[in-house]
Amino acid sequence: MIAVGLYVHVPFCRTRCGYCDFNAYAGLDDLAPRYVRALAAEASLVAPAWGDARFTTVFVGGGTPTTLPPTSLERLLAELRAILPIDDDAEVTIEANPETVDEGSLGRLRAAGYRRLSLGAQSFDRVVLARLERGHDPDAVGRAVRAARRAGFDNVNLDLIYGVDGEGLASWRETLRATIALGPEHVSAYALTIEPATPLGRQVADGLRPAPDPDVQADMYEQACELLGAAGYRHYEVSNWARPGFECRHNLGYWRRHPYLGLGAGAHSARGPARWWNLRPPRAYLASVEAGSPPVGGAEELTSEQIELEERFLRLRTREGVAPDGLDPAVVDGLVDAGLLERAPAGLIPTERGLLLVNELVLALVPQRPRAPATAG
Amino acid sequence: MAIPTSRIRNFCIVAHIDHGKSTLADRLLELTHTVEARAMRAQYLDRMELERERGITIKAQAVRLLHDGYELNLIDTPGHVDFTYEVSRSLAACEGAILLVDAAQGLEAQTLANYHLARDAGLVIIPVLNKIDLPAAEPARRREELAALVGEPPERVLAVSAKTGEGVEELVRAVIDRIPAPEGHADAPLRALIFDSAFDPYRGVITYLRVREGTLPSYARIRMLATGVASDAEEVGVMAPEATPVEALGPGEVGYLVTGLKDVHLAKVGDTITLDGSTVEPLPGYREPKPMVWCGLFPAEGGDYPALREALDRLRLSDAALVYEPEVSQALGFGFRVGFLGLLHMEIVRERLEREFGLELIATAPNVEFHVERAGRAIVVRNPAEFPPGGDHGRVEEPVVFATIITPSTFLGAVLDLCQERRGELVDMTYLTPERVEVHYVLPLAEIVFDFFDQLKSRTRGYASLDYEPWGYQEADLVRVDVLLHGEPVDAFSSVVHRERAYRYGRQMTERLKELIPRQLFDVAVQAAIGSRIIARETIKAKRKDVLAKCYGGDITRKRKLLETQKRGKERLRRVGKVDVPQEAFIEALRVDRKGRPA
Repeated sequence: MIAVGLYVHVPFCRTRCGYCDFNAYAGLDDLAPRYVRALAAEASLVAPAWGDARFTTVFVGGGTPTTLPPTSLERLLAELRAILPIDDDAEVTIEANPETVDEGSLGRLRAAGYRRLSLGAQSFDRVVLARLERGHDPDAVGRAVRAARRAGFDNVNLDLIYGVDGEGLASWRETLRATIALGPEHVSAYALTIEPATPLGRQVADGLRPAPDPDVQADMYEQACELLGAAGYRHYEVSNWARPGFECRHNLGYWRRHPYLGLGAGAHSARGPARWWNLRPPRAYLASVEAGSPPVGGAEELTSEQIELEERFLRLRTREGVAPDGLDPAVVDGLVDAGLLERAPAGLIPTERGLLLVNELVLALVPQRPRAPATAG
Repeated sequence: MAIPTSRIRNFCIVAHIDHGKSTLADRLLELTHTVEARAMRAQYLDRMELERERGITIKAQAVRLLHDGYELNLIDTPGHVDFTYEVSRSLAACEGAILLVDAAQGLEAQTLANYHLARDAGLVIIPVLNKIDLPAAEPARRREELAALVGEPPERVLAVSAKTGEGVEELVRAVIDRIPAPEGHADAPLRALIFDSAFDPYRGVITYLRVREGTLPSYARIRMLATGVASDAEEVGVMAPEATPVEALGPGEVGYLVTGLKDVHLAKVGDTITLDGSTVEPLPGYREPKPMVWCGLFPAEGGDYPALREALDRLRLSDAALVYEPEVSQALGFGFRVGFLGLLHMEIVRERLEREFGLELIATAPNVEFHVERAGRAIVVRNPAEFPPGGDHGRVEEPVVFATIITPSTFLGAVLDLCQERRGELVDMTYLTPERVEVHYVLPLAEIVFDFFDQLKSRTRGYASLDYEPWGYQEADLVRVDVLLHGEPVDAFSSVVHRERAYRYGRQMTERLKELIPRQLFDVAVQAAIGSRIIARETIKAKRKDVLAKCYGGDITRKRKLLETQKRGKERLRRVGKVDVPQEAFIEALRVDRKGRPA
């Protein structure tokens, strides 16, 4: 039996936020009932290929899964459990936006078997939330966390975004303090990334809004490391902190390169050297599943070189370390001296500064073919 | 021969670029029915693709026009200061010149310089105003200006519109009436002047020549006097305007000769051709082509070095002025130090290498040739990296030019300021009219190579014009400025500049490189130095963030592809010590263009 992660994509949102380039849509809610049925149908279609698997984690993400009514989400998990071998004690996460949940709906989700709640808090600064085009106010996050506790969730994550235009270090510090005060088991803090194919990306390209300053984002990252660290959270991946034992097992699976099955529009799957992904447009996805054929939009088979690259850049995102074998000792020494890597029994581990420069570490540490002459002669 | 020597006229057109020389040539081809109207295309004689795009005639050509029983040979002259010597040889093949001036713009420096060359060569000058159809034309004033210049009464100045053809017939008449027939005995030993030389991939070296005396038959055994090379020549012919073989060329005639040679260096412009075995004196005025400007050319892909060498070897067959030697740069790898007649020649060669041979090149900033005394020995420096560092040398000499600048008098102050800033020495100044001044300066060639022309144009709103000729060497207080990245000198960025300009140059280069070089994992000092003395410093702050914030599921494939691209990009980086420098930073930092270079 192989341990596999199950990802389920719900592509619906109440509104689209300007920075987001996920496969998510506002105004397609009338497709929701068909879509939930299709997820189960897709699971049945692919189940035979995963006969040797047991699913140790489930992650229902989006989009905003909680735009679906609790009944749909209850039925969804029940049906998936009936079709696929999901462990009884699997980590089952659902993503939610604070304004889409209350104690009643959360209670039903908890009872249905969702054990981990990931809330899109993003910020506790009204201006920042407005600039992110988020539909909630800062108080809604606290209300949602308290509701989750009452509903029985003992594993809650808050998602944060930093480096928004107009957000200063002081505002970010307040957001971190407010986050810590709510006592979540897990915090994900993401530097705002400008994606070209988003409204925000176009505004930045047109010079209407400034691109985030990477040095300011680096300062904010250091603040997060400092404050979250002091509050007892362990920094275990570039953008993720958790109280010991509450690391997200599903996400660790990605970085450890365990296999995963993705269900839903645009979801990706991986197993061995194979990578494939579903059709992105929800209607195309529905049409394919309803016609009884796997909704695959594309696939590739990684070469050993690509696997090596993937392994390295994923492992270097975490503090699990890479083996120094086969690496140029001079390069390693340079990175250690520069304070980006440290030597540990587990291997080479990125420092906190190193985590913020993972791309550089990956490019420096992957064996390269000889380059343009360093010294001619 | 059908046409006696007394009915031959050899002439050229002296004009500034854009003053209508090629259009006038088109009208002459039409009027004399040398090209029928339906076969006509604009700027017929500017054959090479490159020439047509740039609007500049690089290769002189001679075309035979027949009119009223006369043979009129129009010898085209190169229109750029880089090719002054070639111009002088074209002029030496003529008895007369049409001095063509735009009625709106008036005389320009280059026209004037070439006019002086023509007059000094003893040519009869026919002053002609062109573009009299244009609304902005000021024929009366220009007529005065032109008449005063050539020392003839205003009524001897002709007026034409090369565009409409107005006045062109009268001009042809004047060519016949005013320009003397050539002289020379058909029975004398052959002496023919090469005024242009080209390489044809099928037929080898073709020279354009003017027979001074004697007769040049087809398929003769010939000899070049300067190179001493003998060859079994093939056909002779005339351009009418397509190549048309003839049995022989007699005294005064102009045409081409298929030499049977495979290398233009053996049949150089200015050389004298005779028949093998005859003893004659060479015609006066031959000069070896001498490169004035040098730069390093490096393949962007190190593996293209053999291809670059092959391309240069092939260009050299058709370009007698091109010289090069291998060069090794710490920063740029293997390449060549290449010598050119001037900046235009440099640009043409680069473009041909890139376009015709598909090479991607990195060129260092151009420099002149210095004469440096060191340890009691005189050395020639063609590469700034070889200039003694830190003032460890004796007397240094740099090439200077005699520059002619014509400017509207309103911009005289700006022109004088520029020339003074650029270490110029005023020779004299003449008012051509109350509105236009001719200024002569002796200027370091290095200043011209830097950005003098662009500055002249921008400070006079494009109205001033410049021409110059080599004027020997002169002592100068020059130093080598090095650029260091993280303590490592980058040889490709070394430059030889005047001591007083060193600080400014150093500051500009360091500022520029700070912009061009991406941040590294550590702080990088960018310094400019004279010897061991640092004169400017900038710091490229260490990069702090380079990571994808989210990396789950589908992000992983996307991220891997990005990294694969980045990895390929990294393989194209040049490494200087510990610092990775993209190709583009070298190209940008070394670019010579209207805006880019530090000025």
